[in-house]
Amino acid sequence: MIELNRLTKRFGPVTAVDDLTVTVRPGRVTGFLGPNGAGKTTTMRIILGLAAPTSGTALVGGRRYQQIIRPLRQVGSLLDATAMHGGRTAYDHLLSLALSNGIPRSRVTQVLELTGLGHVAAKRVRGYSLGMKQRLGIAVALLGEPPVLMFDEPVNGLDPDGVRWIREVLRQLAADGRTVLVSSHLMSEMALTADHLIVIGRGRLLADAPTDSFTKSSARADVLVRAPRAGELAALLAARGAAVTVEDDGALAVTGLDAPAIADLAAAHGVAVHELTPRRPSLEQAYLDLTATSTDYRAATLAGKPQAGR
Amino acid sequence: MTTVRIRADGEPVPSLAARARDVIAFEWTKLRSVRSNYVTVLIAAVATIGTTLIVAHALASTPALPPGGPVTALTASFLGYAEYAVLPVSVLAVLQFTSEYTTGLIRTTFAAVPRRRAVLAGKAAVCAAAALIVGEVLAFTCFFLTQAILSGRHRGVSLASPGVPGAVLAAGFVLCACTLTALGLGAIIRHTAGAIAATIAAIYLVAALCLALPSPWKEDIGRFTMPFAATQVVALHPQAGLLPPAASMLVLIAWPAVALLAAGTVITRRDA
Repeated sequence: MIELNRLTKRFGPVTAVDDLTVTVRPGRVTGFLGPNGAGKTTTMRIILGLAAPTSGTALVGGRRYQQIIRPLRQVGSLLDATAMHGGRTAYDHLLSLALSNGIPRSRVTQVLELTGLGHVAAKRVRGYSLGMKQRLGIAVALLGEPPVLMFDEPVNGLDPDGVRWIREVLRQLAADGRTVLVSSHLMSEMALTADHLIVIGRGRLLADAPTDSFTKSSARADVLVRAPRAGELAALLAARGAAVTVEDDGALAVTGLDAPAIADLAAAHGVAVHELTPRRPSLEQAYLDLTATSTDYRAATLAGKPQAGR
Repeated sequence: MTTVRIRADGEPVPSLAARARDVIAFEWTKLRSVRSNYVTVLIAAVATIGTTLIVAHALASTPALPPGGPVTALTASFLGYAEYAVLPVSVLAVLQFTSEYTTGLIRTTFAAVPRRRAVLAGKAAVCAAAALIVGEVLAFTCFFLTQAILSGRHRGVSLASPGVPGAVLAAGFVLCACTLTALGLGAIIRHTAGAIAATIAAIYLVAALCLALPSPWKEDIGRFTMPFAATQVVALHPQAGLLPPAASMLVLIAWPAVALLAAGTVITRRDA
């Protein structure tokens, strides 16, 4: 379990993490979402004792990270997969870390096999692809069989196979009963992987909810309607109590009536309909709505209405 | 992925000695697993021995040295060593920290060992041990080679002469002192280029500056620098005006001690 209590971190005038109170629970994958610069990495660095919070506390298993003896057995982490010495082999990189925490050598070979790096273990890391480095970073995180794991943008730069592999690893770790915190700015990825979401923007907590309820509560479901006589249809829909907004290209976004009802209404009045698309709320839309309204940072970069994920 | 199980956290807390052993094993594994470290030491050794041979031959073909001067048959053994061994090995020591800060590996290191002073102590212990071994081996090698060449002119010094074994051992220790100073500066400055510049300044340039000073100041300030102190601990007949060998040895200990203490102070205060 990871507990953040009123965690705040300032870098001069910039507040990177702003009064963040959140608990990450075991047995599920918790997605840690936010736009670039939202404070995800800073939060993870504070959890790992790498950066000191300006105020507030970050506890792992009830203790500050610095108080944990042999911490790799309690917390596994992947912050930056490229942060390695290029001249060292994967085996030696893992061995040094294993020795630092009293982890047996046999575990090094085990995690190398587990991550599919067994055949390149004796090669220097310099020649590794980004995907191989990510795998090695995950091997480091798994080394101490820790009950708590944190991954910062683990799918960055990976091919589809690698992405799927990491997704399976994360789900398996959570299924084992571990606490798994994964940061990402890729909503689509988190929709597939995370059971629970923590969303931050400009260091502030925006949402802390199960993935499915987050999607339902935050985003509107609507129906996209294209009709040559859009104005006439809009009036008919409004008369039936639907809320209608006109999109930039003249299409109607309708809420309050479902697609069959709209089709029936149009047919009854002899209005031709060219397109009728129910739009399900996507995590991406929910996320964009949330971050766009809550921070001026998003407003500045995403001027106007964000494009909907369909 | 199916084989991993949550470890029951019922293990006894490891003793302080066990944790110290862990950190030393950690740092030693990192040091020994980078091939360029060996290559650098090897090149340094070859350059040192080569220079020592040249100096010894040049010395053998000159008339007798002025008595009481800084260069004697003994100190001449270490003229090559003082630069071609000390400089590259010190740069390696700088890199022990700066390369980790540059690549970001330092975060993995501090995540594995959150007590950062333990990391500093571990690196210092490993560097000190390695530098002491390399330093003593090279110091004795340089001594024997030089004396072998000079003895042909009946100017050699025997290891059996009083004070000579201590002087050669002290010469070997100089590498250790410089290495630890460099390690501390690397931890403080964190950037490779800056830390190397600071190390060269600390080990050589401050003393070189003192040489340019007029005479009472030259000795008064210079005697606290590493090269002046090193000359004193290696010489059989220390120069007047500088610190005696025992005090000079303290100077050689004080430089790395101050660098490591300063590193220990800042290492916990800054975000990694």
